[in-house]
Amino acid sequence: MSGKMRAKQDKLDDIIAYSEVAVRNNAAVVEYCRISMAALSGGTAGLLGLTGFYGFGFYIFAILSLWGMLLMKAGGQWKKYFISRRSLLTNGFFGGLFTYVLFWTFLYGMVHVY
Amino acid sequence: MCEIDDNLNWTEGRDILRNWRESLERRSKDVVEIWETVLMYHIDKLGNEKYLVLEQVCFAALDCYRLPLAEYCVKALMKEFPGSSRVHEYHAMYLEALEMYNEALEVLDSIIKRDETNAAPRKRRVAILKACGHIPEAIKELTEYLKKFMSDQEGWHELCNLYLQEQEYSKAAICIEELILHNPHNHLLHQRYAEIKYSQGGYENMYIAKAYFCQAIKLNPNNIRALYGLLLATNNLALSLKCPVSQKKGTIKLNEWVAGQIEKQYKNKIADKGNDSKYIEGLLAQLQLEG
Amino acid sequence: MAELLLDPNIRGWVFLPIVVITFLVGIIRHYVSILLSSQKKVELHQVQDSQVMIRSRLLRENGQYIPKTAFLSRRHFFNNEETGYFKTQRRAPVSQNPVTDPAMMTDMLKGNVTNVLPMVLIGGWINWMFSGFVTTKVPFPLTLRFKPMLQRGIELVTLDAAWVSSASWYFLNVFGLRSIYTLVLGENNAADTSRHLQDQVSGAAMSMPPNPKAAFKSEWEALEICEHNWALNGVDDDLLGLRNTSDSIENMYYQSKSGL
Repeated sequence: MSGKMRAKQDKLDDIIAYSEVAVRNNAAVVEYCRISMAALSGGTAGLLGLTGFYGFGFYIFAILSLWGMLLMKAGGQWKKYFISRRSLLTNGFFGGLFTYVLFWTFLYGMVHVY
Repeated sequence: MCEIDDNLNWTEGRDILRNWRESLERRSKDVVEIWETVLMYHIDKLGNEKYLVLEQVCFAALDCYRLPLAEYCVKALMKEFPGSSRVHEYHAMYLEALEMYNEALEVLDSIIKRDETNAAPRKRRVAILKACGHIPEAIKELTEYLKKFMSDQEGWHELCNLYLQEQEYSKAAICIEELILHNPHNHLLHQRYAEIKYSQGGYENMYIAKAYFCQAIKLNPNNIRALYGLLLATNNLALSLKCPVSQKKGTIKLNEWVAGQIEKQYKNKIADKGNDSKYIEGLLAQLQLEG
Repeated sequence: MAELLLDPNIRGWVFLPIVVITFLVGIIRHYVSILLSSQKKVELHQVQDSQVMIRSRLLRENGQYIPKTAFLSRRHFFNNEETGYFKTQRRAPVSQNPVTDPAMMTDMLKGNVTNVLPMVLIGGWINWMFSGFVTTKVPFPLTLRFKPMLQRGIELVTLDAAWVSSASWYFLNVFGLRSIYTLVLGENNAADTSRHLQDQVSGAAMSMPPNPKAAFKSEWEALEICEHNWALNGVDDDLLGLRNTSDSIENMYYQSKSGL
C-alpha cells in the first residue's frame, strides 16, 4: 500500500471524479499484493500438506484475509482509495488461483509426494 | 534547502535525487548543492544511474546559471551518448543559456529533422523566440506546433500566456477552453477562464465570467481570488444596463453572499493571528454595491 | 495413499530443474526482447491523427464544461462538411500486408524469435530430456478428463488422473509463472530507465488505429450526435442553495486535498 493511494474526489455528492493515474496505481499495488499473497499462501498450503477442498478453502481464506487487511490499511476511508469494495475482493480471483495452485502443487510435490 | 544536512553521504544524496526525479520535483538549487557537496566525488560509484544524475544536474545547473557545471554535464553525456537527441537537446539548452540563440536553433533544427515526431525540440524553439522577445513569432511557431500536437496541455497553456501578453483575450480564452476540456475539475483553470472573460468585458462575457467564477468556487470554496472575482463580476452585472430585471435580484443576492464568504475567509485566517478584520470590512464596503 | 512411490532422485533431477529452467528462460526471454526491441518509427501525421482523436474524444466527454459557442466552433473545426478536419484529411490506409512492409516483417520475426521459438525449443528439449517421468501429484482429485492434459507422454490407463508427467509439469509452469514474472520483472526496472536515456520517448499517445479513415468516420459520427448541455447552468443557484451546507463542501475539499 505504502500510503500512495490518491483517488481523488472533488465534486458534490452524486458526481465523483477519479484521478485515473491514482486509480491505476492503486490497482497495480493491489495486484502486486494479490500475486504475492497467492504465491505465499500456495506455498504454505503445500508445506502443510493440505489436499482437496482444504486447499481451496485455504485459498478462499487467504483472499478474504487479504481483503480484510487491505480494508484495515485503508481505514474508514476506503472510498478514498478504491471505487468499490466488492471488486477489490473479486478482481483477479482466477489469475491468483492459478498461481496458488502452481505453488501448492510444487511444494506439496517437494515435501509430501516423494 | 531545509532538509539537506551538511554531512550526508553519497548514497543518501543519490536516494534524494532519485526521489525527486521520480516525483518530478525540480528543486534546482538543492540538486546542485547535493551534487557539489557529495555526489561529485563519487560519480563513478553510481553505475548506470550516473547518466540520469548527470542529466538532472545539468538541468538544475542551467536553472541556476552555473554554466561550467552544465558544460561539464553536457560533455559527459555527449561522450557517452553521441547520437542521442535527448543529449543534443541539453546541448541546445546550454547554448541558449549562453545566449547563442542561432546556434541553439540550428541544433534544434537538426534534431527535428532527424525525428519529426519529437515534440520537445519544437517547444524549445518557441522558448527561444520568447526569450528573444519575439512574441508574435513565438505565437506563430507555437500554433504551428499545436496544429501537429493538438493534445499537448503545456503547449496550450503557454500559448494562452503568450496571447495574454499580447492582450488577445479572445484567443487566450480559446486556449483555456482547451485546457478545461482536458481537466474539467481544476478550479484554477475555471478561475483563469473567468478572469479572461471578465477582462474582455461586455455583458455576455461578464455573464460567462460569473458562471465560471461560481464553478471555481464550487470546486474549491477557499479560492479567494475567485471569490473576489465573483464579487467584481456580480457588481458589474448588477450595474449593467443590459441586465434584465428578473436576473438583477439573483445577481445582487449572489453578490451579498460572496461578500459574506470573503469576510468569513478572512475571519478564519485572522482568528489564528489575533488581529481584527476592520480593514477588510472597510475594503469590502468599498467594493460593495452602492444602494 | 497406498500408491506410487517416486524415487527422490526424480525430485532432484527432473522436478526441480524443470521449474528452475522455466523460470530462468522466462527471465532471459524478457531481457532478450528488450535487447531486440527496436523503437518503432512513427510518422508525423500518425502522431497528429492520434492527438486529434484524443482531442475530439475529450470534446465529447468534457464539452459541457465550456460555453456553447466554444463547443460549436470546435465541432465545426472537426466536422464541417467542407473544411472540417475529419472531412478533409485523407489518409491512405496503412498497409497491413506484412509481405509488402519489410519493417513489419522483421517485427514479426522478432516476436517469433522471442516468444514462440523458445517455447517450442525448450518444450521439445524438456520433452526429450525428461520424457517419461511421473513427476508429481496435484493435491486435489481430478476427473479422468484431465488425464490427457496432465499426463502427456505417459500412456498408463490405470494411473490416477492426479499424477502429472514431466512434459505437462513444464506447461503448467509456463502458464503459472506468468504472474510471477510481473512480480519479479516489474519491480526492478533499472534496465528500463537507463534505456530511456538513449532516446526520448516522443509524445504520450503514439498508438493509432491501423485505419485512420474508419476511425475518423466513427469519431465524426459520434461527435455529430453529441449534444451540448452547459454544465455551468445554474451553478450560481447551486452556490446560494448550498449556503447552509457549506460545511460539507469544505469537508469535501479537505478530503480531496489530503487525498492528493
